[in-house]
Amino acid sequence: MRDSLLRSTPFRVTLILATAVLVSLIVAGFVALQLIDGELAERMDRSIADSFKIIAQAYGTGDRADMIDSVTSHAEAAAGHERVFALAGPDGASLAGNVTTLPAGDGWMTLDAASLGIADTTARYRLIIGTVAGNRLLVGQSLTEIGEIAGLTLGSIVWAGVVILGLVTAVGGVLALRAQRRINEIGATMARVGHGDLAARIPVSARGDDIDILSGQMNAALDRVSGLVEGMRQVSVNIAHDLKTPLNRLAISVEAASVEARSEPLLGFLGQATTEIQQINATFDALLRIAQIEAGARRERFVAMDLAGVLQRIKDAYVDVAVERQQVLDVRWDADLPKIDGDAELLIQLCANLVENALRHGPAGTHAVLSAQSVGGVVQLQCADNGPGIADAERSRVFERLYRIEKSRNSAGNGLGLSLVKAIAELHGATIALEHNDPGLRVVVRFAARRRPS
Amino acid sequence: MKILVVEDDKRTADYVRRGLIEAGHVVDLIANGHEALVHATQQSFDVVIVDRMLPGLDGLAVVKSLRAAQIATPIIFLTAVNGVDDRVEGLESGGDDYLVKPFAFSELLARVNALGRRLPQQSQTTVLQIADLEVDLVRRSCRRAGVVIDLLPREFGLLEYLMRNEGRVVTRTMLLERVWDFHFDPQTSVVETHISRLRAKIDKPFDRQLIHTMRSIGYSIHA
Repeated sequence: MRDSLLRSTPFRVTLILATAVLVSLIVAGFVALQLIDGELAERMDRSIADSFKIIAQAYGTGDRADMIDSVTSHAEAAAGHERVFALAGPDGASLAGNVTTLPAGDGWMTLDAASLGIADTTARYRLIIGTVAGNRLLVGQSLTEIGEIAGLTLGSIVWAGVVILGLVTAVGGVLALRAQRRINEIGATMARVGHGDLAARIPVSARGDDIDILSGQMNAALDRVSGLVEGMRQVSVNIAHDLKTPLNRLAISVEAASVEARSEPLLGFLGQATTEIQQINATFDALLRIAQIEAGARRERFVAMDLAGVLQRIKDAYVDVAVERQQVLDVRWDADLPKIDGDAELLIQLCANLVENALRHGPAGTHAVLSAQSVGGVVQLQCADNGPGIADAERSRVFERLYRIEKSRNSAGNGLGLSLVKAIAELHGATIALEHNDPGLRVVVRFAARRRPS
Repeated sequence: MKILVVEDDKRTADYVRRGLIEAGHVVDLIANGHEALVHATQQSFDVVIVDRMLPGLDGLAVVKSLRAAQIATPIIFLTAVNGVDDRVEGLESGGDDYLVKPFAFSELLARVNALGRRLPQQSQTTVLQIADLEVDLVRRSCRRAGVVIDLLPREFGLLEYLMRNEGRVVTRTMLLERVWDFHFDPQTSVVETHISRLRAKIDKPFDRQLIHTMRSIGYSIHA
C-alpha cells in the first residue's frame, strides 16, 4: 500500500513540492535571521556609543562629580543589569555605576556577566570602555534582548513554515488523491478490458482537462479495438458457417458414396478423402478456438479450481496409452496445491496436448513426467520428457500457428497444438517456457495461485 | 422414434432425413426457427435435432423457448461452429447433446439412439446385466459368470456407459465426452487403449465376447 502510494505520480509531485517549500523556508529563515541579527547588533552598538558620548560630555563641564551623577542616574534608570555602567578613577577605584569590576583594556568587547562581577544573570554583554580625562568609563548592554528578538523571529518563521507546509501538503494531498482516483479509474478500466470486458470505458468528466482528453482518446482506441474484435468474431462465425456448410456437404457425399461403393480400392480412396476432410475441419476448428481464446473467450466462466482434478483425469486417460506405446507416463502433484482461477475443460486440453506431444514425438522407451507443484505463490505445471527435444533455433517458433518442426512435418498433427497450449496458458495469466531437459524437452507453465479472499 | 429435424441446408436435411428413415424412424423436416417452435409445441417428438444457425429464430432461441414451455424432449444441436463457448452455450440453453459439422451420419444416429432410449426408470437401476456379466452400480462391483472382476474407476465408468447403451452403438467421440469428459479429439489412441484393457478383463478370460467393435463407427456391448 505504502509502496503503491510512493509510485503514484500525483503523490510524488506533492511530496516534491512540500520538500521544496520546506527547503526554501529554511533558507529564507536563515537569511532573515542573519539580517535581523546584524541590524540589531549594529543598532545596539550605536545606542551604547551614544550613551557613552552623553556621559563623557557630562565631564565636558570639567566636573568629575557631574560625571559621577550622570553615571549614577543612568545606572539607576537601568533597572537590574539590563544596561551596565561603571566609572573608575585613575587609581582604579570604583566611583559610580551598577558594576564595579572593569576589565582591563579599552575599546569594544563582548563579555559574560561573571567577568563584570554580576552574579544575578548569566547573560552576555556588549560594552565599550574608554578613558575620559584619566577616568575609565564603561557603558554596556545585555545581549539578552537581541537573543529574545532572534528567538521570536525564529519562532514566527517556524510557525509560518508549519502552517504553509501543512497547507501545501493538505491541498496537494487532496488534489493528488483526486488525480490518483481518476488514474485508478483508467487503470481499472484497462484491467477490465484486459480481462475480456471489451465494453468497459473510462468515465470522462465535463471538465475537459488533460486526463479527460487522455481518457477520451483511450476510449476511442477501445471503441476501435472492440469493433475489430466483434468484426473478427462475426467474420469467424460467417467463415465457419460458409466454409463448413460445403465441407459438411462434401463429407455427406463421401459418406454416401462409401455406402454405395463396392470395390475395395474405391473404399480406400473414399476413406482417404474422409481423413482429409477431418483434417481440414480439425485445423479450421483449432484456428478458430485459438483466435477465440486469444480474444479472451471463456474468461468470464473461470472458477476457483484445483489442478489436481485435471491431472487425475489426464492420469486416468493417458498412463495406459503410454504403456501401450511402450512408453512411461508419470503424473504427480503436490498434496495441497493452491487453487487457481481457470477453466477445467481448457486446462485438460492444455495438459493433454503437452502429454500427447511428449508421447507422439518420442520413440518407444520415452519417459514423460507431468507434474504440478506449488512454488511460492505460483503453481508450476511441468511436462518433461527424455524424447528428441526441440533445437534452440526452433524453440521460439514452435508456438507460432501452423509451424511444424521439419523432422515431424510428415507425421500427423496440424502444428497448432503448442499454439493452443500457449493461448490457453496466457488466457489463464500463466507464463510458458520451453527448457532443455538434457535430453528432451521440458515445458513449464506457471500459474499465479488464487488470492485467498480476505 | 418420431424425430423432428430443424435444418435450413437442404442437402444436409435430406441426407439426415433419408438416413433416419432408413434406420426406421419417422421424420418431420422444418427449415425455419419460428415454424420449428410452433411444430414442436403442437406435436410430441421423441428426439429433436436443431441446427444452431437458422433463418428466423436461431437454434439457441428455439431450444430456450421449448424448455421454457416445459417441453422435455431430448434435443441434439447440430452446428457448423465449434468455438470454445458454443457447446457450453448449447447445453446451457437446454440442449442435451451437441454435434459439430461435418459429422458422420453414424455418429448422429448413435447419438439419436442414445438420447431416445433414455428411459426414466433407467436412472433408478442399480444392477446392469448382460448375459452372465453383472455390474452393481451401488457397490461399484463387477462379476462375470460369478467371478469377481477388479476394475479401475475409469474402466468401471466405461463399462457402465457401454452397458447403459446395451445393443446400441456408442461412438469414440461419445465415449470421450461421457467417460473422460474430453471435448477435443485426442491424437493418441485413448479410447482404443481403454477398450482393449477392459476387454482383457471382462471378455478375454471367457468364451463369449460381449464388447463388439463396429468398424470405423464405435463399439457396442451385447450378448
